[in-house]
This record gives sequence, C-alpha cells and structure tokens, in this order.
Amino acid sequence: MSFTRTGSIVLQRLLLLGAILLLWWYAASKVPSFVLPGPAKVLDGVFALVNSATFLRDVGATTYRVITGFAIAAVAGTLAGLVLGSNRTLATFFEPILSVLNTVSSAIWAIFAIIWFGISDATTIFVVFMTAFPLILTNVWQGTRAVDTHYVDLARSFRMSQLQILLKIYLPSILPYFFSGARLAFGFGWRVSLVAETLGSSDGIGYRLRQAADLVQSDKVFAWTLLLVVLMLVIESGLLKPLERILFRWKQQS
Amino acid sequence: MNFHQTQPYVGTPAIALTGIEKSFDKLKVLDDISLTVRQGEVVALLGTSGCGKSTLLNIIAGLLPADSGAIDLSGALDPAHGSSGDIAYMFQEDRLLPWRSIRANVAFGLEAQSVDRRTRLARADAMLAHVGLSDFSKSWPHQLSGGMRSRVALARSLVVEPRILLMDEPFSKLDPQTRSQMHGELLRLQAIHGTTILFVTHDVEEAAVLADRIVVMSPRPGRIRNIETIDFPRPRIPTDPAVNEQIRQLRLGS
Repeated sequence: MSFTRTGSIVLQRLLLLGAILLLWWYAASKVPSFVLPGPAKVLDGVFALVNSATFLRDVGATTYRVITGFAIAAVAGTLAGLVLGSNRTLATFFEPILSVLNTVSSAIWAIFAIIWFGISDATTIFVVFMTAFPLILTNVWQGTRAVDTHYVDLARSFRMSQLQILLKIYLPSILPYFFSGARLAFGFGWRVSLVAETLGSSDGIGYRLRQAADLVQSDKVFAWTLLLVVLMLVIESGLLKPLERILFRWKQQS
Repeated sequence: MNFHQTQPYVGTPAIALTGIEKSFDKLKVLDDISLTVRQGEVVALLGTSGCGKSTLLNIIAGLLPADSGAIDLSGALDPAHGSSGDIAYMFQEDRLLPWRSIRANVAFGLEAQSVDRRTRLARADAMLAHVGLSDFSKSWPHQLSGGMRSRVALARSLVVEPRILLMDEPFSKLDPQTRSQMHGELLRLQAIHGTTILFVTHDVEEAAVLADRIVVMSPRPGRIRNIETIDFPRPRIPTDPAVNEQIRQLRLGS
C-alpha cells in the first residue's frame, strides 16, 4: 500500500471521528445531561472510572468469566464438531438440537442460569458458553466437510496412523473454520456476558452498568461503553489480527 | 551423470499380484490381474482411461481393498525399515499441503517413521537439493509453478527411500520439456537407490522412455492384454530410430 493512500485513510478516519464528536457535542447541548452527557463529561467519567477502587476487579471478573466460558466452548465445540463431522448418522440425529440452540436468546439462557446457578460466576460463564458453543461447533463441523480426501489418502499412502491423520491433515484443514467460529463466538461472548452480569452478578462490567443505569449516571454508562469499544478494538487489532496473520500466512499471496 | 541400467533381480519379486478383482457397485473394473514386478524393475501400466490402472495402484498402495486376489509385497520389505517407508505413492495431482512450507512438505512422509525432526529436515533439504529446489525450501506451495510443485512431490516420495514407488500419471500435466527433465531426474535417483517403480500412463512414449516392461491393459473390465519388454539401454531418446520403431509398434498394438 502506498504511503499517500495510508495517509488518506488516516485522514478520513480522523474526519469521521471529528464529525461524530461534533454531532455528539451539539446534541448533548440541546438535552439534559442525564439523557445524553456531552463528550467532556464522559471523558471525566472515564478517568473517574479508571481510577475507581473496583475498576480492575470488575474488568478482571468479566474477563475471567468470558474467557472461561469461551475456553470450555472452544474445547467442547471442537470435539463435538469433530464427532459430528466424522459420523453422518450422529450428525443427522443431533442436527435439530443445533437449530434450537441457535434460536434461543441469550437473555433466556441468563434467566435459566440464575435459576440454576444463582448470583455467581457460573451464571455468566454458562451464558457465554451457551452462546459460543453452537457457533464453534457449527464452524468446526463445516470444516470437517471441507477436508480434502486427497490429503487423507496421501497420509494413508505413507502408512500414517489415524491419530497422525487427525493431527496432520484434519486439524490444519479445520483451523481456518475454527478460527472464524472462535472469533465470532468471542465477540458474541463478550456482549452476552454483560447481559448475564446485569441480571445475575454482584460485580463485573455488566453489574456496574446496571448500577449506573439505576442511579441515572448516564455519564458512567457512556464511559463504560467507550472503554468496552476500545478494549474490543485492542483485542481485535492487537491479538486476533496478528494471530490470524501468523496462523494463515501460507494463504497470503506473495 | 551416468545412467546405468538396473540389474534384473532374480530373487523374491517386489510386487506379486495374483488374481486381483475389483468392482464398484456392479461395474467390474479389474478382472483377474496377475502381475509380478522384480526388485529394481521399472514397469509401466499402459492403457486408455477407464481400464482400472489407477484403481490397481490404489489397491497396491493399500488405499482400496481388493474384492479378491492376493497382493504380496513382502519381497520388498526391509525389516530394518519398519512398515512405513516401504511404499511411496506419487499421485496424479501434486497434493502438496498448502499450510506447509516446501521443506515441511518434503519431510511429511518421514513423519510416519521414527526419524527425529532434525534428521527429517536435513534429509528433506538434501532431497530438495537433488531436485534443484534448495532456494524454495521456505516458500509456500502456492508460490511455485506446476513443474516445481511436481518436483517437490517427487522429492517427497523419494525422501522416504521407498522400496516401491507407485506413480499415477505424475507428469501428465507438465510441459514436454519439464516432463523429460523429470524423467531424467527420476531415472537418475532410481539408479542410485534401486527403487522398484510401477507407474500408470496413457502416454506410449513416456512408457517406452522409462520402463523395462510395459503392461498393456484393455478397458471395461480392466485386463492385462500383453506385456512388452523394452531392452534398449537408457537414456532412451524417443527420436532414436530403434526406440521410435518400438513406440510405433506399441501404438499399433495398444
């Protein structure tokens, strides 16, 4: 990419940001601040939040729940996807369950979770799991169908064991599918974790959001939102994008 | 390079097929195939498409079960070698794994044997040098031309030092010049290791240039029609009058 084109994209992004800030500032000046706090007030809110005593603990609690739920879903979803992918009878038998899982709203899972697990980490973990699991399962399953039998025959012609074929042919073939499923699941997991926390938790970001809403601290709600957006962007560009570049470098055109 | 003809081996045959039959659904593709290939011999299976040549190779490679008949490869077995590495199969397509570097592709077959990583890579590098692709050791398959990819596939087959090399029209997609280069490369390496080669082709000229014997097959169901011995010394030049005459005879016969 040429330098001038990169420069023009940066300029465009700055322009967009400026326009949004201007619009926000203008709208905020027309309505009471509990309805829409202005940019300056929200920025103050962000600083207050970051400096508050419970900030790190709340972010930590939510991160822990999301990662735990996601990790269990990644392992279980991959295993289930491999099993369904390798056995057509099982796949046909269980397929309807997947459709049902995909239609149930995360809010409903959250309500069930509160009934089953009460106010605890398990509630949020469960909701994240129930959201992430079908996504990863579906993608891995699709991935198994995309495995080229030519490569399997190649491995067999070298007298490789079933385990070697799984590790050396199946896993690398499925990895791109797993990755796109995992990425989707992680994003969804983050979002639904907040829903679960507003209902069934006594700390974490979702809980603080509800607390701020109950006390009509709109600036605090906005401050959390801003922080979450920044956090997601950092994870996306600082972790997922580079990881994808390394894992799938063989796909890049020279 | 000195191309010396491999000594005809009088001991146990490398490949002994007796009464091989194979049907797909009700269609009979192989009918009573009996064939003996001596150790170090190069044999071509020649015939039109649909005569079951590839099916026969797949059966010998252990990728397909025969309906009846016996396959005896024990003459080629080397107890010191272990069961893997006895056979290498070079498919019609190069079947390079896109997620592996060229070097790791060449080393692939060695992973089925108990060879440590360092030795595997060293042997892969040595074989890449043999086929003149040392500079591409760290490239990805998609960065190479068709001819180079074929050479990588040949290197991957030969690096395991197979006792038996099966090839299914491996050079059919190459331009004539690259193909004859590959023929030379193959015969040179075959002369060094005394590998037994059984390959499928529908190209009479290719068969006459490479093979000690040509097995002519007739289609639907696949049967052995006749077996021709080519006893000109190598290297054989297709335009050489004597070789040319034999090619003409074979064309008339097949």
